[in-house]
Amino acid sequence: MKFSKYLLILAACMLTYTSCDNGFEELNVNPTAANEIDPNFQMSWVQLRTSGGRYENWRAGLIYSSMMVQHMAAVCGYWTGDKYTYNAGYSSSLFDRAYSEQVKDVQDLINTLQQGEVGDQTMLGMARIWRVVIFHRLTDLYGDIPYSEAGKGFLEGIDFPKYDAQSAIYADMLNELEQAIGQLSTGGFGGSDLIYGGDIDKWKKFGNSLMLRLAMRMSEVDAGAAQSWASKAISGGVMTSNDDIAFLQHTNGPEGVNMNGIGEVLDKSNGFGDDCPRLSNTLVDWMLATGDPRLDILGELPADGSGAHNGLPNGLDETTIQDNPTGTSTDNFDRVNSTLVSVATPMVFQTYAEVELMLAEAAERGWSSGNAADHYNNGVRAAMQQYSIYDGGLAVDDAAVDDYLANNPYDGELSSIGWQYWAATFLNEYEAYANWRRTGYPTLTPTNHPSNVTNGTIPVRMVYPQGELGLNPNFEEALSRQNLGSDFASMLKVPVWWDK
Amino acid sequence: MKNHLLCLLFLLAGSITLVAQQRVTGNVTGSDGFPLIGVTVAEEGKANGAVTDIDGNFTIEVSEGASLVFSYTGYGTQTILVGDQTNLAVRLEEGVALDEVVVTALGIEKDKKALAYSVTEVGGENFSQARAMNVIQSLSGKVAGVNVASTATGAGGSTRVVIRGNSSISGNNQPLYVVDGVPIDNTNLGSAGMWGGQDWGDGISSLNPDDIESYTILKGNSAAALYGFRASNGVILITTKSGTNRKGLGVEFNSQVRTETVNNFLDFQDQYGHGRRGVKPTTQEEAFANGLYAWGGRLDGSSVMQFDGTSRPYSDVGDNLDRFYRTGVTYSNTLALTGGNQDYNFRFSGSALNNNDVVPNSGLDRYTFTMKTNANFGEKFTSTIGITYVNESVNNRPRLSDSPGNSNYTVWSLPASINVDDLKGPGDKLGANADGVELQFNDNVFVTNPWWGAHQFKANSTKNRLIGNVQLRYDIGYGLYARGRIGLDRYNQRRTNLTPYGTAYSNFGGMDEQNNEFSELNTELILGYDKDITQDIGLNIFVGGNQLRNKREVLGGSGGNFSVPFLHTLNNLANRSTIYNFSEWQNNSVFGSAEIALKNAIYLTGTIRSDWFSTLTNADGTSDNNKLYYSVGASAVLSDLISMPKEVTYAKLRVAYGEVGGVGAAETPYLLGLTYGIFGQGHSGNALGGINNGSIPNEGLTPLTSTEFEIGFDFRLFNNRLGADLAFYNRQTKNDILNAAVSPTSGYGSKVVNIGRMENVGFELLLFGTPVRTTNFTWDVSLNFSQNNNEVVSLLTETQEDEESIRVAESRTRNAYIHHVEGLPYSQIMGFAFQRDGSGNILLDDNGLPLQGDFMPFGTGVHPTSFGINNSFTYKNVTLSFLIDSKFGGQIYAATNAYAYFRGLHQNTLEGREGGIGPVANTDIEDYYGRIAFGISEEFIEDADFVKLRELVLSYSIPKSMLGDLPFESISLGVAGRNLWLISSAVDNIDPESTYSAGNGQGLEMFGVPQTRSLQFNLGVRF
Repeated sequence: MKFSKYLLILAACMLTYTSCDNGFEELNVNPTAANEIDPNFQMSWVQLRTSGGRYENWRAGLIYSSMMVQHMAAVCGYWTGDKYTYNAGYSSSLFDRAYSEQVKDVQDLINTLQQGEVGDQTMLGMARIWRVVIFHRLTDLYGDIPYSEAGKGFLEGIDFPKYDAQSAIYADMLNELEQAIGQLSTGGFGGSDLIYGGDIDKWKKFGNSLMLRLAMRMSEVDAGAAQSWASKAISGGVMTSNDDIAFLQHTNGPEGVNMNGIGEVLDKSNGFGDDCPRLSNTLVDWMLATGDPRLDILGELPADGSGAHNGLPNGLDETTIQDNPTGTSTDNFDRVNSTLVSVATPMVFQTYAEVELMLAEAAERGWSSGNAADHYNNGVRAAMQQYSIYDGGLAVDDAAVDDYLANNPYDGELSSIGWQYWAATFLNEYEAYANWRRTGYPTLTPTNHPSNVTNGTIPVRMVYPQGELGLNPNFEEALSRQNLGSDFASMLKVPVWWDK
Repeated sequence: MKNHLLCLLFLLAGSITLVAQQRVTGNVTGSDGFPLIGVTVAEEGKANGAVTDIDGNFTIEVSEGASLVFSYTGYGTQTILVGDQTNLAVRLEEGVALDEVVVTALGIEKDKKALAYSVTEVGGENFSQARAMNVIQSLSGKVAGVNVASTATGAGGSTRVVIRGNSSISGNNQPLYVVDGVPIDNTNLGSAGMWGGQDWGDGISSLNPDDIESYTILKGNSAAALYGFRASNGVILITTKSGTNRKGLGVEFNSQVRTETVNNFLDFQDQYGHGRRGVKPTTQEEAFANGLYAWGGRLDGSSVMQFDGTSRPYSDVGDNLDRFYRTGVTYSNTLALTGGNQDYNFRFSGSALNNNDVVPNSGLDRYTFTMKTNANFGEKFTSTIGITYVNESVNNRPRLSDSPGNSNYTVWSLPASINVDDLKGPGDKLGANADGVELQFNDNVFVTNPWWGAHQFKANSTKNRLIGNVQLRYDIGYGLYARGRIGLDRYNQRRTNLTPYGTAYSNFGGMDEQNNEFSELNTELILGYDKDITQDIGLNIFVGGNQLRNKREVLGGSGGNFSVPFLHTLNNLANRSTIYNFSEWQNNSVFGSAEIALKNAIYLTGTIRSDWFSTLTNADGTSDNNKLYYSVGASAVLSDLISMPKEVTYAKLRVAYGEVGGVGAAETPYLLGLTYGIFGQGHSGNALGGINNGSIPNEGLTPLTSTEFEIGFDFRLFNNRLGADLAFYNRQTKNDILNAAVSPTSGYGSKVVNIGRMENVGFELLLFGTPVRTTNFTWDVSLNFSQNNNEVVSLLTETQEDEESIRVAESRTRNAYIHHVEGLPYSQIMGFAFQRDGSGNILLDDNGLPLQGDFMPFGTGVHPTSFGINNSFTYKNVTLSFLIDSKFGGQIYAATNAYAYFRGLHQNTLEGREGGIGPVANTDIEDYYGRIAFGISEEFIEDADFVKLRELVLSYSIPKSMLGDLPFESISLGVAGRNLWLISSAVDNIDPESTYSAGNGQGLEMFGVPQTRSLQFNLGVRF
């Protein structure tokens, strides 16, 4: 019997004293976990977590970003993004999730790959590029953030990472990209790479396209650096067609992690279905005015059966909508096309259309030798045709694009590029919000909801989690360095470094 | 398992032996000639005894040549050789000596006067007369230094018991419970946090109060030192009832009916109705969007649109809590059979507790069966065997804290113009639309219809628990003895947690099915020597060892999206995943104890214990996994050593020092290294793997150490009419293992560290007396007071940077936190103050809204001071007693009030509705209060001091003379109330005892189940 075995061990321990921890080494090994992980498994995991969950896609992505840039509008009280109120939890949501769900594992993966036992430099390069994907979104949204010391709680014992200045983060991310692209040769993650299935050429293009994005971000604050990095990116080779779009294809389960985070918010057929948002009238009116074929792709005709696209004005609530001349019920307005926001749709990180529009801007600024109009036209075409990655039925044929371009020819204005970039980044709301802040295009008319905390201006950053205060001793320095004051709600009004 | 049961049954069967007996009856009186009830009559040297009844009578079967020992608290013990007498008249003398015997660590019985430390015994009747759902709640206010915190979590909820202050920063602070020598698990199986959840119960609530003889509380380190690494929070030893040597079969039947009603302290404004910005909704859409806000127009009785498109009078609908909560009813019935002779006795009991909680559709059923036998095999060999089986089903553990599914949240949050009955919906299915899905009444899908939350959600559990022990003792002779003991605590809890199909925030629903298995096996061996060497020198020595093996396993499935509507089974889930967790650890120990008695008046004691931990053993065995614990103590019975005035009946001075350990990570395996998990089912055929740890692991952990110095004075005056027991202690805890919060930007939420020091310095006073004692009337008073001053002395260790505070909990408002702060008491409520100018005026921003000021501590969430007083009046067969329980010095952050500001429910939000406040227009007044709600924590932090009439008990025992020829030995009747009166409290709208967690991080409240007041009727019959 078991008892007698225990009694024997006990007697032995009492008599000899030294045998009192027999077998403890084996007992204290967790039988349900691994001590090492295949980098392939971890790369898939990191990419999926970067695409994100419902939590932050809902809050920072949709409720704030999509509404601030007037892609969407809503009357529901908790859709705060076009009322310019401060909700601490919504505002900090990406920051709250990204470090534990994305940064921790990408740092660990890079560390494993740098140890050299795997010996695959291409894997390392891809992981480093992915790290930039994670961090540039964070710094664009929050300004100075923990970067160089972040995610190293176990690796280096850093419990309280310092906040790096955004200027330094940008400088380092660009260097990282350059070095990482240089590491891409043979090998890599193969099918475990959920973005390109291991296609190394596409990764190179993605790396350079990301470099171009970061370069352009600095156009207003450090034009010299912006130009030189843009040139480097272009000469390195950026995306050349919609086949190069960086996206992650989600699936309908089996678990939440497999689903598109935006879909988890808006997909009514999957049981979640936040029915608040409608297309903003800023987007709908602009598309109606230009005869944009995308309107039928992005929007669904109003439920009231009017048969005509109608955008909801931003800044209304349930009371003020009663006096709205274009419709007093949310049924009078376009919902987002459900095909784009199902749980099994792609999550887009960067598109070829964005790249062409950046090339147009670079040419217009005289930073490259290309033809701005050509790039603009390529960008608009790519943007209109990119929805076939969601569904083949959403294809726009060349003739429709030709018509559109004939009716709306490139006018040499950066603002036109800005409007198109804005339209092209629908559902990549972090990017739409960042580019609007940099360029000021499109020119958006702020709302003036009585509860706003920004004196009626569109917020220009998201606010850190209040929990860092009193916890991370480096936090207050970051606040004072950026002149953020001590009132969290007021921080919404303070631009980030590259936003001049 | 099977083997264990067989083994126990075998021993049970084998222990039944019959030996020829002699029957003795008798009567025991005090020196005043009045009968003494409850005198213990024991056959010397045998596990055989009886107790005198209400008239002082007893009956006992003894073997030939036996001696009977009569003992009674406060009276001198008498030993009488029976010889051939069959009827004894015994008179006990008061206060001659205090040879009280108490159970101490490891079940060793000792003279109370030999103890160098504080031990408090509480009789089982204290837990059965005015019952609480969780038996241990009845300890509240009764023992100095024991702090019982009730939670607002419903019938199946947990209780937090802390002895002499919190000594671990965020490890376990609750005592070890030992039932008849077997440590039993009291793990909280899940509690609500900032995002909601349920309280899945604790372990101690399994016990049936009718089966318990006494509770012995070992408060300090010295008293508990032999429990080594589990000693630092004190130990509560529970002794269950045994059978007695008696004629025939004894039958006891106890029956109670208890009703409970909520204590409704909500006092929200009833002048303005639903709506926003001072406007009454005019459309259904508007009413729906604003259904949870009471920022509408002034209630004027006009017809105003509501969420369902119906216009109703815009007026105060009255008390929604009364409509929603029901009267809870609990029936508890226990039948016990006892019997035995001088060599063998048994007690068997079965009990049923059936409860309907105040939250609709929620309740608890518990069935307990227990069997205990004592047997002598010849002169030298004795055995004790006990088995308890508990089956507990809890229906719908209420959801708490944040809103999804929390009915309390919604009922409490309704504007005065909305009637909760209107949310019931059109059909029989409560809270549902005609099509069977949730009837929403506001646009926030996460604020669930309360009827839907209570009736359609499920959070059910069934627990089966077996607690068994076998103890064998062999008296070798010459004072030497050997004792072996095996104790098993094993349970499984089967859970179902359902978010039903049609729920607004999860239209297709989801569920979680789990089976939690737990087992702990303790095997203990002791070799002892207990003998008076000379007339003046006695020795009591033992050495022993214990092996503890503890295992947990969780197996289950979960997922979302039911394919077939309303078919709520795992098999119908479109997305499914498995749950599997496993952990196992072991502790080995050897220990020894020695006590020297000089002239039966001076006692010197010492204990030592060495513990080895599997949890602190790293992969190559190089880590330090061994700790040594010890205690020393001395006591002197001054009244026996020096001549004292005759008013002094007894006086004892004691002093002790102990160094012991605390559980924390000593009971949590796999903390030493980083591990990776494989998550979910992959993605499109690719495996997903990443870091498991949410906390930064640490290979160099050592167990927590607690040292305590204790000094006490115990005296009785005037023949025990007045007595006091004083204790002073100073306890230092160092090297606590805990998850210290680190910046989430490190990638982790916390770090496992040995951190800092904490100090508890306190004072305990127990004062008891009998102001009046006449033939028919007695008045007893017992008063206890304790003051515990806790300080987090240092959070600094060699490997750490200096940290001023660590975070242990956060409120859902994300505006208040619990921190431990250096230099301040444990569990500080941290939050934002108003920004003020030099003269204290609140500063406003450009829009006239209050500015957030400093982030600072506002005081501890744990009361440092407690005071309880119990008065008991006995007139003939009637006893009336009442207990006043009070606590002082703690704070509470009432998130309920923060939300009441946000939604315009709080009385304070009436200001400015007509004229505005400064530049804030009356239509924007909700922004003003909204800013305070989620920006200024200070507004909602209040003194949680309270004074409560905790218990009121009236009992009547029908005199035997009146029973006449009826076949009853005794009948008693009683009425008892609990929490009848909140005599004093400073907190708005909620009971000051409303925390939603029994864990660390005390001081946060948010929409819990209201505390209840109960009224109970008791019937006790003996045949």
